[in-house]
Amino acid sequence: MRITFELNGKRVECEARPNKTLLDLLRADLGLTSVKKGCEQGECGACTVLLDGAPVNSCLVLAPQVEGRAVTTLDGLVDDPLMAALRKAFMEDGAIQCGFCIPGMLLSAYALLRENPRPTEEEVKTAIEGNICRCTGYIKIIEAIMDAAERIQNERP
Amino acid sequence: MEYDKILENLLGRDDYLVVGHSVVRTDALEKALGRARFTADYIPKGTAVVKVVRSSQPHARIKVDVKAALGVPGVLAVLTAADVPGHNQIGYALPDQPFLNGEKVHYIGDPIALVCAEKEYAAAEAVDAVEVEYDPLPASFTLDAALQPDAEPIHEGGNVAVTTRIRKGDAERGFSAAEVEVEDTYETPYQEHMYLEPEAAYAVPEGAGKVTVVGTMQSPFLVREKVAHVLGWNLSQVRIIQALTGGAFGGKDDMGPLVCAKAALAAVKLGRPAALVFDRDESVAYTPKRFPARIRYRSGADGEGRITAVEVDITVDCGAYANRAPFWLWRMTAHAAGPYEVENASVDGRAVYTNKVFGGSFRGFGDVAIHFAAESQVDRLAEELGMDPVEFRLRNVLRPGSRTTCDQLLDHSVGMEECLRGAAEAAGWKRGRELGRKGSRVRGVGVGCAYHGISTSRSTPDWSAASLILNQDGSFTYRTGICELGQGSPVGHAKIVAEIIGAPLSSIRIEVPDTDSTPNAKPTHGSRGLMLGGTAAADAALKLRQRMISVAAEMLGCPEADVDLREGRAFNRQDPSEEVSFAELAEELYVRGVSPAAYGFYTSPRRFYDPETGLGVNYSVYTFAASVVEVEVDTETGQVDVVKVWPAMDVGRAIDPLMIEGQIHGAVSQGIGFTLMERLVVEDGLVLNPNFKDYVVPSALDTPEVAETIIVEEPYRHSAFGAKGVGEPAIISIVPAIANAIHNATGLRFNTLPITAERLYAALRRRKP
Amino acid sequence: MRPIPSFSLHRPKTLSEALELLQALEDARPIAGGTDLLVLLRDGAVSAKHLIDLGGVHELQYIREENDEIRIGAATTHAQLLRSELIAEKTPLLHEAAASIGSVQIRNRGTLGGNLCNASPAADTAPPLLALNAEAAVASTGGTRIIPLGDLFAGPKMNSLRPGELLTEIRFPTPPAGSGTSFQKLGRRRGLTLAVINVAVYLCLEGGVCREARIALGAVAATPIRMPAAEEMLEGRQLSGELIEAAASACRDQVRPIDDIRASAEYRREMAYVLTRRALMDAWERARRDTL
Repeated sequence: MRITFELNGKRVECEARPNKTLLDLLRADLGLTSVKKGCEQGECGACTVLLDGAPVNSCLVLAPQVEGRAVTTLDGLVDDPLMAALRKAFMEDGAIQCGFCIPGMLLSAYALLRENPRPTEEEVKTAIEGNICRCTGYIKIIEAIMDAAERIQNERP
Repeated sequence: MEYDKILENLLGRDDYLVVGHSVVRTDALEKALGRARFTADYIPKGTAVVKVVRSSQPHARIKVDVKAALGVPGVLAVLTAADVPGHNQIGYALPDQPFLNGEKVHYIGDPIALVCAEKEYAAAEAVDAVEVEYDPLPASFTLDAALQPDAEPIHEGGNVAVTTRIRKGDAERGFSAAEVEVEDTYETPYQEHMYLEPEAAYAVPEGAGKVTVVGTMQSPFLVREKVAHVLGWNLSQVRIIQALTGGAFGGKDDMGPLVCAKAALAAVKLGRPAALVFDRDESVAYTPKRFPARIRYRSGADGEGRITAVEVDITVDCGAYANRAPFWLWRMTAHAAGPYEVENASVDGRAVYTNKVFGGSFRGFGDVAIHFAAESQVDRLAEELGMDPVEFRLRNVLRPGSRTTCDQLLDHSVGMEECLRGAAEAAGWKRGRELGRKGSRVRGVGVGCAYHGISTSRSTPDWSAASLILNQDGSFTYRTGICELGQGSPVGHAKIVAEIIGAPLSSIRIEVPDTDSTPNAKPTHGSRGLMLGGTAAADAALKLRQRMISVAAEMLGCPEADVDLREGRAFNRQDPSEEVSFAELAEELYVRGVSPAAYGFYTSPRRFYDPETGLGVNYSVYTFAASVVEVEVDTETGQVDVVKVWPAMDVGRAIDPLMIEGQIHGAVSQGIGFTLMERLVVEDGLVLNPNFKDYVVPSALDTPEVAETIIVEEPYRHSAFGAKGVGEPAIISIVPAIANAIHNATGLRFNTLPITAERLYAALRRRKP
Repeated sequence: MRPIPSFSLHRPKTLSEALELLQALEDARPIAGGTDLLVLLRDGAVSAKHLIDLGGVHELQYIREENDEIRIGAATTHAQLLRSELIAEKTPLLHEAAASIGSVQIRNRGTLGGNLCNASPAADTAPPLLALNAEAAVASTGGTRIIPLGDLFAGPKMNSLRPGELLTEIRFPTPPAGSGTSFQKLGRRRGLTLAVINVAVYLCLEGGVCREARIALGAVAATPIRMPAAEEMLEGRQLSGELIEAAASACRDQVRPIDDIRASAEYRREMAYVLTRRALMDAWERARRDTL
């Protein structure tokens, strides 16, 4: 099937069989290896991407289902100021160990702060509930998201 | 060489520039950008897909017919034991594990053949098409079944794979001197690593006699050895590259060789690149995990609260293969008394085969299980004596000058007491801890202590190597075989190098472990990566430093003793304005033919032990840890929430406090999982929950508050700056602390894990009058 | 785990197009969020030659109130339910249940219709909707029939839809003033989890007397179920702690849970009592607040 959609702000046209997941389309066909494959059952969140700005498990989206929609991966947010603040906080707070969960984690955090710039700790935990991390115990990740939120708030005029 | 005194003795200063200060990890940016590549990220389209054909029976003789599979369109090859050109044996410690099983299978999931195909669909179809004829044998799924005299032997020589023992002092005399005695049996289950990145390997053949394999692993040189062994090649014909690994915790130390050898065999046979990437359910159901264990523990204490004797009987469930069992069992045996001075100890252990998925490395090794038992016993002895659990422990903890259960003298670097006091104080530990109660919710506090030998077990000589090259522009290339698994050890090495050589951390590039060019640092396990690997790094840095100083002295026209290296330049201490940049210095080294490359080597002090008595020096040094944990129990549902954790650890020297905290947080999470919710359900050898949905690990909503880690520094004389390993001890003390806290909250003691809500609820109900 | 098997994917733009396809194609299934279906396809538990993607059928995504009835299009996602002020204000019961499903990622894709048609006995939206006396609109090319929601569930993971039928809408009367509800769920950890048991309660009070009581439980029988015997104990009576305990005990006696790898039947039975009691106390409290 022919699929036309917006990927990281650019229009993309490609061919894919209906049973190809968005995850495989992004990784194998479009070379976006920042999107990770952890379980293919929607349980670990490593494959999280933004679909029209909302976090979804790309392993549970069929490629043709993104027709006419906007997909964002970490690669598309490199220069985004909110993502930059999150990135800085993650790096400085020691929230990154093996790094495998991080792309998905950052996208979930990004979506949270876009919608809710002043989250409570509980709201942060709920936002990343679907992103499993086996290395960090989440503590520094939660801290980093709260720190990024605070920093962004302080920068507001 | 007093490595712990490098700063004072060799660098001539008393302030650390890099060591001890938390830094942003050098690999953090690429990971935060999503540009860090893991094994599966390297596999290009067109790579042959390799899938494993596995046994569906737990114990059987087999006959394999691949004709039908070969007929599936898109299939390139189907490889069986007959196709293994070298040795079809991949057992780690014992030669009990065929690489591919052609005659007999030992557990559900045992590899039988490899299917190689153009695409995944064809491979999956071909896997189904391989015909395996099973002639079932009686299977043993429990320790008791496997130990029956008439049990079907799983391997030649019977079902006991290995035994251990310790005889120190006179246990019976110790017991007769005891005022109180406690005896019970403890059981701990499997634990699955659940690293986010499944196992993977990508192999590329070159010419007629070389293969390169990129994969998930923890010991590139072990992988090289096993791959060469299977191929029947020289070591130099196999090149192993460790790709950044997405979590390992021991599991990839075992699986690295297995997946890399499979991919390599396929690539060599096909003459084209081949890759193997595990599914999550494959990873959970068929790869090695924490060995289940049964521990019968008897211990006694006198009226003063001194432990007078321990008698411990340990049975480890190997599953289908021994794998790490000898080392696992040995650790349990050596640490059986916990971090306490015990004069009389009698320990017997055995590892037993069963027809289930086999055990393997996992953070903490058997020390997690044995401390669960030992620390439960200690709490119970204290209770019998009416003594506070912390007070009781303080009367027994190992101190400098103490001897371990193996009669090893610990003459320095023993921070157990400080850890225990520190954690207890931070937690506001009170005698007769009050139970907070709110409706159906009840709170409790518990403590757990632990120690963990850092280095390979059993006085096996432990050594490590590293290389450091000064490039012409003044930057450095550092190579270590210690793998980056997320724990940050290589970054720790770079910090050690930066401290010694006076270079900015950002100017030191840590290269990927590649057996073609990286020195063998030995495995990244046993929490030895920083301690042993880092000391090799220090050795390399010290050697290179000396040469740089020597040349700089001539350039600056001053005595060598006056030259200091700092922030990327060499300068004259007497007149710091006289300086040369490392770029200028490097150029000078090259021009003069002074080697800009240093090979660092470090070997741990010689150890010995007597296999008859089990006594001797079996680990170079120990890391000590204590945790105090507060839990809240919902007595109506049995649910347990870990509310707060106060961790303490004697790390020798903190190379990076932020990374230490990260390790402790991760260990707390895995400890909570193991104690409260992780349960691999195995029925007749079949894993029923091989997925994240039903093998439940902690999520962000299950995170406790963790107090700032109390970092105790009792430097180890024989490691760079005195640093000891950190990664494992944190999980060891958490598990019993949670169990002890639950006891404090409810009065219930659990001898088996996990303490799920359902089990706790049932126990609470049984107790009601 | 296998690769997802091949199928033809159809992407209708309207409901009638979707119904035509479902009627005409053999071995066809609808797919919406796919969070259940794709996992089942991969496991080989379910097969389909054709998948009808409802993602483009926007007329199935709505939440509105009409004539004191709340009507929700079957392809409405859980995330949309959560964002709806109407739902948050008028049916906190459904809001709380939607909030407990899966994770953010799952809620952004999973739909109400999907959750119900997947017919897991543990479906989190089922007990609340049963307690709200919901009806389901089932459409086909032959027309639409309205059935009580309970009739949709035929057994574990089995719905009663006939070939060519599609769930299009869920509707229920807007809870009046003086009503209180509560949703309780027990999982195996605090985060993302399938329910070991879930309970939804709806109470309508008038002058302290319980005019209407509806209690629905999930994961304790082959389908989500109402507890009529317990409900009868409460209706027409002045509520009290003891009465609530008695009703909760009745639930414990009525449920028929099974042992599975998540929990034992025994534990589920006991928790039926605990959670129903908690839900009733909570709903009672909320009902009293609502009438003040």
